[in-house]
Amino acid sequence: MTSSSIMPGTARTGRAATSSPWAVTFTRTLIYVILVAIVVVEAFPLVWMIVTSLKDPHEVFNSVLPGEIRWQNFPRVWYAMNFPVHLGNSLYVTGLTVGLVVVLATPAAYAFARYRFPGREIVFYAFLGAMMIPPQAILIPMFQFLKSLHLLDSLNGLAFSFVGGGTAFAVFLMRTFFLSLPRELGDSARTDGCNDFQVFWYIYLPLARPGIATVVIIQSLYTWNEFMFSNTFIITPGKKTVQSAVFQAIGQYSTDYTALCSGLMIALVPVVAIYLILQRQFIGGLTAGALKG
Amino acid sequence: MNAPSRLQPFIAPGLFIAPAAIALILTTAVPMVDAVLLSLQRWNAMTPAVWTGFDNYVRLAQDETFFRALWHTFYFTVCTVILQTILPLLIASLLNSGIRGSTVFRTLYFMPVIISLAISGLLWAMLFEPNFGAINSLLRAMGLGAYTPLWLAGTNSVMPSVIIVSVWQSLGFYLVIFFAALQGVPKDLYEAATLDGAGAWSRFMNVTVPTIRPVILIVVVLNTINGIKVFDQIWVMTAGGPNYASATLGTYLYSIAFGAMGASNSRLGYAAAIAIVILVLSIVVSLIQIRIGRRRDLDAQIEV
Repeated sequence: MTSSSIMPGTARTGRAATSSPWAVTFTRTLIYVILVAIVVVEAFPLVWMIVTSLKDPHEVFNSVLPGEIRWQNFPRVWYAMNFPVHLGNSLYVTGLTVGLVVVLATPAAYAFARYRFPGREIVFYAFLGAMMIPPQAILIPMFQFLKSLHLLDSLNGLAFSFVGGGTAFAVFLMRTFFLSLPRELGDSARTDGCNDFQVFWYIYLPLARPGIATVVIIQSLYTWNEFMFSNTFIITPGKKTVQSAVFQAIGQYSTDYTALCSGLMIALVPVVAIYLILQRQFIGGLTAGALKG
Repeated sequence: MNAPSRLQPFIAPGLFIAPAAIALILTTAVPMVDAVLLSLQRWNAMTPAVWTGFDNYVRLAQDETFFRALWHTFYFTVCTVILQTILPLLIASLLNSGIRGSTVFRTLYFMPVIISLAISGLLWAMLFEPNFGAINSLLRAMGLGAYTPLWLAGTNSVMPSVIIVSVWQSLGFYLVIFFAALQGVPKDLYEAATLDGAGAWSRFMNVTVPTIRPVILIVVVLNTINGIKVFDQIWVMTAGGPNYASATLGTYLYSIAFGAMGASNSRLGYAAAIAIVILVLSIVVSLIQIRIGRRRDLDAQIEV
């Protein structure tokens, strides 16, 4: 039971004056019951996926839990679905996209935050506007564009298609970050003889690391999880990213839930592992990204 | 004053911004203009394109399936806006009521948020399987065998099913946003309300909601934008089926453009016209967002 959880804070807010300790305990318990029930609902699909991935294919629909834990689905799916290749493809596209976005967005965000020049607002609003374009709107022209550049069905081309939206968003986030850094640092460096580039490179860039980290987290997750462009611009099975490879696999494994669940598990492991290590940065970065974006 | 010194203020910022600006022009502005032009042509990617003026839009206005897709998009957006604002706000309030372990709950609730829409769609498609899927098996085990819906396979149940998946997946995300906002509400406001005899519900409606109103609006706008664009989960689970019963603007566009790629009936100009409809709807919502978004208030209120 959770009766031990009456917080002193609540008792002091005066509520205790009107309600008995028993009523407080009851309310508290009720809150916990609701919160735990929601955990059950949120976790159920994931727990079901884990349990199913450990079953023998014959057990899937007959028993709730596997008779014994069977890891065999993982090596089976790992090779059958060609995971080493797809994970490598996703890693390559994510790395390239994140790298390009950081390199392009950081100096631009710095300039928007630190320089005054005629037309700054207009250019900045153009960047903001680019952020609001839904991916569907550019899907077809991007397909044709990549085709004409001979970048269709290429991981480089896929990364290229992500760069625009990602850069606009990163510029917006990073600009806020640069605005929060003291202006005096740059001014005194300039009096010491630093030129514009040196002020950026030696003074502000090292301080901007937390901002860059946020961009890296958001952009990595977004690129790794992206489905529509990856599923459209990559055609050769061996070049597919994890997301579209798993999607393609349902045709082949439609009734083999143990295989599908193990496949989904493998596809999820990289993201979940990083999430568990960097929870706070993930939660903070994603929500800040949404609010400021 | 000579020319170089007049250009002086532009040189440094220009060099810093130029690479990003070029990337943006190539990957968003050019395709954007291209989409508009494409929507005025008839093109199947095989034979040369033909200019047809507003013909695609005229045909769109007569296309029953397009209006069904528009209706489903609207239905999805309205339902998710309501559910994905109210539920996370209520649960965040419970978490903020001074209980222990709120960090653990938030971490658990946030898990589905990091999963890709495609993977969660595939997972739920298995759970929703009408004959032997986990959910209907569970209902049968609970003696509710008479009430097992067809879920994704039924024309009436498919949209609610898709909405359930969306709520499941995004709950933790909006909850964390609301939780951060709730932490910023001054405690003495609640104490004053309590002394005035306000109960929990009255405190929620009269203190919490008005104080975090800007954050509520932002969540509504985010939900609206995501609703207009909805594609991944639906495409993975149903591809807009059965018989277009879950077709949204996004999936309808996709099935026209890439459902029969390369075939002569692939109507890229027509699909581009749908893309422009999505774009216009997004712009309208974004403009509303800019009007209501007093970002200064927000930044002051949210320290995630």
